[in-house]
Amino acid sequence: MDAADLSHHTSRRFNEDLEQVRSKVLAMGGLVEEQLRRAMTALADADSSLGRAVAHEDHKVNGMELSIDEECSRILATRAPAAGDLRMVVATIKAITDLERVGDECEKIGLIAARLAGEVQPADRYREVRELGREVQLQLHESLDAFARLDAPQALRAARSDRSVDDAYDAIQRQGMTRMLEDPQQIRRQFDLIAVARALERIGDHAKNLCEYVIYTVSGRDVRHSSLDQVERELAARGG
Amino acid sequence: MKQWPDWALVLRAAASVALLAAAGALLGSFRDLAWAGAAIVLAITLVLQWLRSAQLLRWLRTRSIADAPDANGLRGELVAQIVRLLRSRQRRKRQLMRLLRTVRRATAALPEGVVMLSEQAEIAWFNRAAARLLRLSRKSDRGLRIDNLLRQPEFVDYLRGRRYDAPVRVRMGMVPEQFLNLQLVHFGEGQLLLLVSDATHENQVEAMRKDFVANASHELRSPLTVIAGYLETLAADDGIEPALQGPMREMRRQAERMQGIIADLLSLSRLETGDPEVAGEPVDVGLLLKQVERDILSRQQRPRLVHSTAESNQWLRGDHDQLYSLVRNLMENAANYTPADGEVRARWWVDAAGGHLAVTDTGIGIAADHIPRLTERFYRVDVGRSRATGGSGLGLAIVKHVLQKHGGRLEIASVEGRGSSFTCHFPAERLLRRPASRAAAAL
Repeated sequence: MDAADLSHHTSRRFNEDLEQVRSKVLAMGGLVEEQLRRAMTALADADSSLGRAVAHEDHKVNGMELSIDEECSRILATRAPAAGDLRMVVATIKAITDLERVGDECEKIGLIAARLAGEVQPADRYREVRELGREVQLQLHESLDAFARLDAPQALRAARSDRSVDDAYDAIQRQGMTRMLEDPQQIRRQFDLIAVARALERIGDHAKNLCEYVIYTVSGRDVRHSSLDQVERELAARGG
Repeated sequence: MKQWPDWALVLRAAASVALLAAAGALLGSFRDLAWAGAAIVLAITLVLQWLRSAQLLRWLRTRSIADAPDANGLRGELVAQIVRLLRSRQRRKRQLMRLLRTVRRATAALPEGVVMLSEQAEIAWFNRAAARLLRLSRKSDRGLRIDNLLRQPEFVDYLRGRRYDAPVRVRMGMVPEQFLNLQLVHFGEGQLLLLVSDATHENQVEAMRKDFVANASHELRSPLTVIAGYLETLAADDGIEPALQGPMREMRRQAERMQGIIADLLSLSRLETGDPEVAGEPVDVGLLLKQVERDILSRQQRPRLVHSTAESNQWLRGDHDQLYSLVRNLMENAANYTPADGEVRARWWVDAAGGHLAVTDTGIGIAADHIPRLTERFYRVDVGRSRATGGSGLGLAIVKHVLQKHGGRLEIASVEGRGSSFTCHFPAERLLRRPASRAAAAL
């Protein structure tokens, strides 16, 4: 086997390694999406055992983070990737941290849902929070799709939807405070609901981070502190 | 077809070469250079031949039938044969293309989604229905791994599990909520075919059925409680005519049985909804066995020996109430179908494969052809007998569902007339050391 052949062989193995890691990240994303869906179902259906199950299963997400992190370290140490590959590995390491945090937020929502299930549920089954939940679920899904496809324009679109999530969170917070003033009996419940909304808003932020890593991987540009409009213009200028 | 060129053509070619050579020799003979003349003419002929061969080659490279060079003789025949070959190839290609287009159109028209996957589970091709159901994009999604886009844990586990005998149901999208059945099929060398069908309606019907059973049982429970309550009060009344006391007892017994059936239906429907797997808390299986053993021993009619042993002090992570009803159903079944001189033994042990719970009896046993259907609801091996024992007919269905929720499975072995054994296998991940606080309290 000559040298060129060997290097070709190594690079193919390397690509397979990278693909494998990416798949694991996306499987972790799928698990986190499922956790979020179940946590929100537990809240809407006042299902305390489901809420507790979500909290209990957060360890699966944590376990995946550890194993992917280890694999990334191994790739960095043994393959010394450069350019696009390096960006991919760096983005992966960052992405799993965000996904793990999303898992933690789901755990919180699950526990609160389990607690609220013991109380009388209002007739609208927390409509505003459920709607926010749906929006965040969609945003997370789109972000992970963009990550799977390495699709910068899609990532940009998903990142933009974070703004409306933030607005919805503000609205729920204001409404919660008004209700607390009207009826002090509700203070505890409203605090719980605001905590759920807060967790959802945080999940939205993590989803937005995922989108930024996609743009970083594709274009090599760190967009964490740039406005989205500026990024869009640049992406358009690159003909992407 | 002839093996060797037509002799006529060869002879004609040879004759024309000889003629040319002779003409050259004749020309050369004017200056006594007959050989040189012949040689020069032959050389010119040869060069011309090369040029024509080159022309033929150039034409062959273009593979265009329309540009076929004019030629006659041996070369003409060659050109004609090549043109014929090209024509038949073109025809075959057209046929294949037509077939391919038909196949494509047919698969595109399929209401079911079809995705072709490579050995690495990368998307190679998919039809229109698959694009619609899975929200795949023709432009960007070829070559992507399918599990990167279909990230539902159920599907990811299914794909990696490599056991594709049954489809898997996944949820897709949120508004409106959609359910898909996904089935993988092996084909070619390591490639996979993913079949996708919409199961939203199916799912709805199932949900409606479950809701109906749950609601109906729930609605039946309250009136029955009233009836059973009055029957109990009346039975305690001494003023009742002796002739009515027999029927009274029977009415009470049947009311109790109905309550039992409804309670089982409700717990079954609770098992069916809810989470597919319970997280649960630590449960002491040995203690559960002892509790149920005590209940059965306190009965008037029971087998001679009812005994339980816990050979391991490891606990099981699960739902306490569900596991209790699993143990109760198995041991009561065993006691009900075992004569008074028989034995019922329950045993809990742990090995490398996980935790095991076996209930063995020396009862009447079950014929082999009934065993696969035993866990169906209301399935009765012997209608008269099982009604007499007062079972609900739902016990083993409950056992099966509880096991499903704990990642376990049920194994049934039986010899007619000799006895049966029901063994529950639990995965090793569900085993726990005895919790420290309880252990300390037990001392």
